[in-house]
Amino acid sequence: MVTTPLIPAALGGLIWGIMGGAMPGISASIAMALLLPFTYTLEPMPAIVMLATCYIGAEYGGSIPAILIRTPGTNASAAVILDGYEMNRQGRPGEALGISLWSGVVGGLFGLTMLVMLTEPLSRLALLFKPTTYFGLGILGLSVIASLSSKSLLKGLAAAVLGLMVATIGTDPISGVSRFTFGSPDLLEGIAPLMVMVGLYAVTELMVRSGVTSTVMKPTGSIRVRLPRFSMMKKIARSQTVGCIIGTLEGLMPGAGGTIASFIAYNEAKRWSKNPEKFGLGSEEGVAAPETANNTVASTALIPLLSFGIPASNSAAVLLGGLLIHGLLPGPRLFEQNNDVVLGLYAGSFVADVSQVVIGSLILPLCVWLVNRPKPYRSAFIFALILSGVYTVHMSTFDLGIVLAAGLLGYFLKFFGLPFLPAVLGVVLGNLVESNYRRSLVLSDGDPSIFLEDPIAILFLTFAVLIVVASLLNEWRIAAKTRKAGVA
Amino acid sequence: MKKDLLASIGLLLIAAAYYAASTLIQQSTLEDLVGPTGLPTVLAALLAVIAVAIGARALMSAPAALTSAPTADAESHWTRAAGMLGIGCLYIPAADFLGYAPAIFLLLVAVMLYERMKPNWRMFVIAAGGAAFFYTLFDIVLGVRQPQGVLF
Repeated sequence: MVTTPLIPAALGGLIWGIMGGAMPGISASIAMALLLPFTYTLEPMPAIVMLATCYIGAEYGGSIPAILIRTPGTNASAAVILDGYEMNRQGRPGEALGISLWSGVVGGLFGLTMLVMLTEPLSRLALLFKPTTYFGLGILGLSVIASLSSKSLLKGLAAAVLGLMVATIGTDPISGVSRFTFGSPDLLEGIAPLMVMVGLYAVTELMVRSGVTSTVMKPTGSIRVRLPRFSMMKKIARSQTVGCIIGTLEGLMPGAGGTIASFIAYNEAKRWSKNPEKFGLGSEEGVAAPETANNTVASTALIPLLSFGIPASNSAAVLLGGLLIHGLLPGPRLFEQNNDVVLGLYAGSFVADVSQVVIGSLILPLCVWLVNRPKPYRSAFIFALILSGVYTVHMSTFDLGIVLAAGLLGYFLKFFGLPFLPAVLGVVLGNLVESNYRRSLVLSDGDPSIFLEDPIAILFLTFAVLIVVASLLNEWRIAAKTRKAGVA
Repeated sequence: MKKDLLASIGLLLIAAAYYAASTLIQQSTLEDLVGPTGLPTVLAALLAVIAVAIGARALMSAPAALTSAPTADAESHWTRAAGMLGIGCLYIPAADFLGYAPAIFLLLVAVMLYERMKPNWRMFVIAAGGAAFFYTLFDIVLGVRQPQGVLF
C-alpha cells in the first residue's frame, strides 16, 4: 500500500478531475473510473479523497470546453454553454471561466456543508435496519434509479436486471454453491463492481468515440481566468443561491445528477433574475447558476451514498466502487469503524473546493494543450491506462478480459439506449438484495409475512411500487400524446 | 422501432442463455428455501417479460417516439467500436507472451494506427516514450508488477 497524505491526494484528484472533465467525452464518472484502479494501491482514506476530489474537479473541468468551444466536457456542464459560450463570443472567455470557477467554489462549499450536516444523522437511521429493511432499501434503490435514469422505465429495469444477473456470478452467498463460473476459479469470488464500472464507463466510451472526429480547442481572445470582482460576486449571488438549493435537492434524489440540476438551476435562476432577458445573451448569472448547481451535486450526491449505500449518480456509483475495493461499506458502520475515511473525505473536499480557484486558473493552459493533442494519441494513452490500471487490482490478465467484456456490455446498452446506472447499481446491490431476502426467509422459517412486520421495509417497498407505477403512467401519457400528435 | 425490436430480441436471447446456464447450478445440502437457483430463475423470467414488453411497445408505438438521440454515435460506428475492442483483446495474449513493456508499446501503436494516424517516426517515438512512462509509473513508482511475458 502506498501512503499518500491527504492534501496531495486531494490536489492530485482535483487536477486529474479538471483535466479529465476538460476533455470532451470524458465525463466525471469516466475520469473517476480511470482513476479507480490506481486508488487500489493507496490507503483507503487518500484513495477515497482522490476519487471525491476528482468528481469536484471534473465538474469545473467540463465547463472549460463548454465555454471555449461550445462542447461540454461533461453532461452536467451542457447548461453552461448557453451563456458561457456567448460570453466567449463577446471576447470575455476569461470572465466566464472566472465566474464558472468561483461558482464552483460556492456550490462546492455549500454542498460540502450539507454533506457534513446531513450524512451522519441520516446514516444513524440505518442502525434500525434489519435484513428485511435492507432488502426493501435495495429494491427501492433499484426502482428509483431504473425509473429516473432513462426516459423508458422498461429500459431502466432491463439494465437493472442485467446488472443483477452479473451480480449472481460467483459463489452463492448463502449455500456456497458456485454459480455461472463454468469451472473457472477466477470467477468464484464473483465479478468486482470496479471491473464493471471501468468497462462500462471507460471502455465503452473509447469504443463509441473510435469513430468520432476529434475536437480542437481554439478559443477566441485571452484564456486567462479572470475571477469576479466583489460587485460581480454580489450580482451573481442570487443565481448561486438558486444553484445551491437546486443542487442540494437534486443531489439527494437518486438518478437525478448534475445534468438535470444544472438545467433546472438555469431555468430557475432566469425566473428569479432581475434581468431574465439577458439570459442566453452572455449573462453572468446564466453561467453562475448551473455551475453552482452541478458543483453542489458533486457533494450532495454523496449523502445517500454514504448514509445508505445508494449512489445517486454515475460518479457516486464509481465512488462506491472505491469504497468497496477497500472493504468499506457505506452506512453507520462507516462512521463508527472508519471515521478517519469520512473525516478525510470532508477535509479533502474542502481542500479541493478552496484550492480549485488557484489550481483551476493555473491548469487551464495544460487542459487546452491536452485537449488539442491528436485524438489517436489520447485514445491510445487512455486505453493503455485502463488496461494497465485494471491489472493492478488483482494482478490478473483475467480481469482485463472482464473489463473488455463489460465494455462490450456497455456498448450493447448504449446502442439500444439502455442506461448504465441501473446496471451498475444492480451489480453493486445484487448481493445485498438477494442475501437479505433469503436471510429474512431463513429467520421466519419461510414465512414471507416477515416483510410485513417491518414498517421501514413496508415503507421502502411501497415507495418502490409507487415510483414504478408513476413512471409507467407517465410513459403511457407521453406515448398517448405522441400518438395523438402523429395522428393530427 | 427496429432498434427497440432488436433490443427486445437481444434481451430475450440473454434471458434464455442465462436461464439455460442457471440449470447447470448444482444443488447443495446447505440450501435454503429459495436456493442458489431462485434469484437466477426470477431474473431470467423478469428479463424475458421486460424484453417482450419492449418489443410489444416497439410494434405498437409511433416510430418517431422510439428513436433516441444519445445512441446515434453508438449506432453509426459499431464496426469501428468492435475493432477497438479487438485491439484490447489482442493485448491480453500479447502481454502474456511478450511482457508488459513491448505489449503496451504495440497497443499504443495499434490504437494510433486504428485511429487513422499515418505511420511516421514521431508516432513510434511517442509510443516508445508512452511504454517507458507506463512501465516507470506502474512497475517502479507504484511497485505493481505488470504482466511478465514468456519472452521479456
